[in-house]
Amino acid sequence: MRKKNRANLIGIGILLLALVTISIYVFSAYRKEQEREREYHFIFIPKTLDPQNGFWNSLIEGAKLGASENNIKITIMGTYSEGDVSGQIEKVKEAIALEPEAIMIASTSTVALTPSLKEAQAAGIQVVLVDSKIDEDIGASVVSTDNYKAGVSLGEYARRFLNGESQIGMVGHVQGVSTAIDREAGMREGLGEYEENIKEVVFCDSSYEKAYSLTVEMMKKYPEIDMIMGMNEYSAVGAARAIRDLGLTEQVKMVGFDNSIEEIQFLEQNIFSAIVIQKPVNMGYLAVEQGFHAVQGKKIESYIDSGSVLINQSNMYLDENQRLLYPVTTQED
Amino acid sequence: MKINNLKKHIFRKFRSTQSTMMVSFSLLMVLAMLIFLFIALRHTREVAFENSVEATTAITKQVNDNIDSYIESMENIAAVVANGTELSMYLFNDEKSDVAETTNKNRIISQFNTIRDSRDDISNIAAVADNGKYLVNDGTDTLSDYVNIKNQRWYQTTLSSKSGQVVSSSHVQNVIPSSYKWVITLSKALINHQTAQREGVFFVDLNYESISDLCSRNRLGNKGYVFILDELGNVVYHPKMQLMYGGLKTENITGIMESDQPYLIDDSGEDSIIYTKSVSDKTGWSVVGATYASDLLKNDTQTQMIYFVAMFLLLAGVLLVSSFISKEITRPIRDLKDSMVLVEKGQFLEASVEVTANNELGSLTKSFNSMTQQIQNLMEENIHEQKEKRRSEMKALQAQINPHFLYNTLDSIIWMSEAGENEEVVLMTSALARLFRQAISNDKEEVPIREEIAYVKNYLTIQKMRYKDKMDFDMRIDPRIEGIPIIKFAIQPLVENSIYHGLKLKEEKGQLLITGGLEGENAYLEVSDNGVGMDTETLNHIFDEKKNDYKRGGVGVNNVQRRLQLYYGADYGIHYESKVGIGTKARITIPIERESL
Repeated sequence: MRKKNRANLIGIGILLLALVTISIYVFSAYRKEQEREREYHFIFIPKTLDPQNGFWNSLIEGAKLGASENNIKITIMGTYSEGDVSGQIEKVKEAIALEPEAIMIASTSTVALTPSLKEAQAAGIQVVLVDSKIDEDIGASVVSTDNYKAGVSLGEYARRFLNGESQIGMVGHVQGVSTAIDREAGMREGLGEYEENIKEVVFCDSSYEKAYSLTVEMMKKYPEIDMIMGMNEYSAVGAARAIRDLGLTEQVKMVGFDNSIEEIQFLEQNIFSAIVIQKPVNMGYLAVEQGFHAVQGKKIESYIDSGSVLINQSNMYLDENQRLLYPVTTQED
Repeated sequence: MKINNLKKHIFRKFRSTQSTMMVSFSLLMVLAMLIFLFIALRHTREVAFENSVEATTAITKQVNDNIDSYIESMENIAAVVANGTELSMYLFNDEKSDVAETTNKNRIISQFNTIRDSRDDISNIAAVADNGKYLVNDGTDTLSDYVNIKNQRWYQTTLSSKSGQVVSSSHVQNVIPSSYKWVITLSKALINHQTAQREGVFFVDLNYESISDLCSRNRLGNKGYVFILDELGNVVYHPKMQLMYGGLKTENITGIMESDQPYLIDDSGEDSIIYTKSVSDKTGWSVVGATYASDLLKNDTQTQMIYFVAMFLLLAGVLLVSSFISKEITRPIRDLKDSMVLVEKGQFLEASVEVTANNELGSLTKSFNSMTQQIQNLMEENIHEQKEKRRSEMKALQAQINPHFLYNTLDSIIWMSEAGENEEVVLMTSALARLFRQAISNDKEEVPIREEIAYVKNYLTIQKMRYKDKMDFDMRIDPRIEGIPIIKFAIQPLVENSIYHGLKLKEEKGQLLITGGLEGENAYLEVSDNGVGMDTETLNHIFDEKKNDYKRGGVGVNNVQRRLQLYYGADYGIHYESKVGIGTKARITIPIERESL
């Protein structure tokens, strides 16, 4: 009787164990399945939604690719001007109200966005800084071009056109933003002993027109300028248009940041000697990926350099550079 | 307490045959199901994998066919223009007049325009001659100053290829300024009719979208996709081309190009990918389908879950049914068990079990029933025999009348006759006669106390006459007990004992008192004397058979005691009290109404 009793209890034990194991397995498989099918919602706030701006379009495209790769629903929010700092703050507030899991933001200001981004973090939203840093070390990760490094390579390239008498003008985009600060510092470093030949640094607030007029003024002020360095697409293209229109393409060598069809044409026409192009698609993709990892609680890098390439006339037709210069995805018919 | 009971109850349930059967069934079922599950899942996985490879192969083939037919239609268009004499004449005939050349040019341009208008997937149509003459689109577009078309690979391969016709990989069209479109260039060598040599190229730029549209529609599972490689392994189309160019995504292109298997599994990444390839004879392109193992696995987990849930439900069902079945099967056993408990208690009449099953258990039940019946019969027989035995024992016991008494009495009668005491002789003889009549008169075990007292009275009459100086007696019987039955010859031996062991040994005349009355549910009869009494040792052994004095052949008190207790139970019988020099008191207690044993 006793023996039988024990055998029975063992049997029931095994039975229960089997049932429990099965239920745990099914449950965990179900959870895993749910986790896999779980759709996160990310919000991406670029500096501008300007449809003409190849850089930001590519960045958005990269972010979308990253989102589709990881089954994330991504919403793009933003203003149509890089100078609209308060507008971007508004967008951040709107984004927080939507309760996404993560916000990827390219801050238009190093200071103004900080409080609202802190607010987002306090609301449990992962913040990934894209392209530009801010004054405080918040956010899960920063994904950007190493602007200083890119500035150095452009400054070093510019040296070959310079001599002791050269005069250098710089056209920046927005004073005080981290990209402008880093790029300028990098270019100054790259220029080396020619740094003191810099006559003037102007800021166009990321407007073609303002860059144009500032360049015209600068040329009036310093007619001897033989090197103009543009710090982003707006400043470089605006300055190049001015130099072209002033007929000074022979006198003034130009280098610049970023790419657009117009900028490439200026490069083909030898108005630009070199441009440094970033990898906006990579940047957008990596930013979303970092956000995804942060949301999943995986290990993330505090800083990722999305890379940059210096393009001049001799290497612009190489296959790999063509792919960077003309993104497939942003082409419209 | 309740909980304890419940526990006990549950515990008992667990050790029943029913639950043993149930548990065994279920364990077997679980085991069988697990084995089945394992086989089924394996098979499902294999089938899913095969199906996936098959489906992907079909899709890549379909895509390849679509691309082939698309390219073919383009080739037909190209052939119409390229093989026309007008183009050759315009490009290679220098001698013609300006007017003729212009009309020719306009005719060609209108042809170009017609084609471009009818197909929105064509971004450029152009013809270029080695001699520097060219026509692009509507004639207003020029070739780029910065890029030499003759250095383009597609241009060179067109001239050098056997067929004179080449489909390029996807590339940026930079020979036409301000275009910078991603295109696929279909080019055809132009033959100068005069020299019969290839001296130019006619090309059509197909929008990249025309190819990507053919591929992007085909999603393989959740994450899978289709991409195209040219014969050198360059990417013609990839849905994540941008990521590949940025170095964020790689495909195992060398592996794919070298593989001649129908599929290739790449485990290098986080998620293993199954590549399925279809090579076009026309373009030389490989359409590759990339399926993610996690997608297959997803179906797998779903299947697993369905299987497990089904198993769970089945198991629950089996438990339910098996509990029912085992309960039904073990019911006769439980009935037998319950009945055995009754048998243990001796309740044979209720112990018979109904035979329900026609199997081993049924015959077991039958055997049990007949066994119970037999035991019951044996028990009854045993009881009967016991009764008989007791009766005969009693008979034997009550038949023991002291022969010394008879002899002594007769002796006394002789002495009295010789002395001429006729009256006394008559009295004694008649008393003796009554005594004997009473002793042998009836067969009954019991007589009313009244009769028993009368018997004692006769006996005492005789003894009184024999021991004139030795004793006196008195009787005080409560009339209420006179009708109560008592076993025969219960009192006389006590009286005899009192006389022979108490009064007879006393110097002076003794007194004997017999009283009787009610005491609760019982009746008592007490024989007391003021004789010599007994010490404690004698008193303690008064009911011992061995110690008893049989010399006189009398009926010992132990005999009476045995009979009383046999008849009325151990609670009844004789109780002695005695003190040396003071006297002895013997008290019989019997129930007013005897319980039948």
